[in-house]
Amino acid sequence: MVVVRFAGSKVMLLKRVVGLEGERVEFRDGKLFVNGSLLEEPYVRHPCNWNLAPRKVDNNCVYVVGDNRSMPIENHYFGQTSMERIMGGPLW
Amino acid sequence: MVKIKYLIVVLLIVMVGISVTFLFFPSEEKKVKKRFALLSEHMSKDYGENTFIMANKIKGISVLFGENCNFTVSDYSLSGNYTREEISGIALRGRAHFSTLGLKFYDLKVSFPEKDLAQVNLTARLTGKSVYGEHVDETRELMCLLKKVEKKWLFSSFEVIEVLKR
Repeated sequence: MVVVRFAGSKVMLLKRVVGLEGERVEFRDGKLFVNGSLLEEPYVRHPCNWNLAPRKVDNNCVYVVGDNRSMPIENHYFGQTSMERIMGGPLW
Repeated sequence: MVKIKYLIVVLLIVMVGISVTFLFFPSEEKKVKKRFALLSEHMSKDYGENTFIMANKIKGISVLFGENCNFTVSDYSLSGNYTREEISGIALRGRAHFSTLGLKFYDLKVSFPEKDLAQVNLTARLTGKSVYGEHVDETRELMCLLKKVEKKWLFSSFEVIEVLKR
């Protein structure tokens, strides 16, 4: 889990890194695939039906997604973000 | 004793002078921030806003912008270059979607990369309730440019910083 600086110095998002630079990330019927392999995600409690075409993570970026995927895909903040936006991680 | 009295009086006059200078001759940074405060005030909408107030607010919004202003908003069809009149129309139609609306700006960082050009990095928060009863609460990081035209700072560019790219 990482804290992403979303806006200014105060608005942060807590997200999970699912893809590193150069990797290909996609969603098929709510299942997350990285480089074509299914990623087991026991932390996802609410199943979803998201679909997202494969995309490659750019250099100096990571791909982040939240664990709560109970909402429609268009209402969820996720995607590729610059490493410079990663402020840290939770302590516990 | 007399000298001390004079010294106190002189000090008081200097302090009053400095205060008056700051009050009546604000810095360029304060002038730029004031434009955001005005934009926030004019964009906001209370429940049951009447036509007269609406017209005044739209007029107030339009004078804050230059002849043209560029909007860069990824994933939205709003991106493009608009005239002041077009911006008034967009503001009018946009506000009409809401029964209440609030636009607040935070963490304004003002710099002056060129003469008569101000760059402002800030956090914008839009809150409100649509006419269909949906609650809206959106926060974004923005980078804005303002140009100084005839002693007035006018908005010339708005860019929504894309933090998460799908």
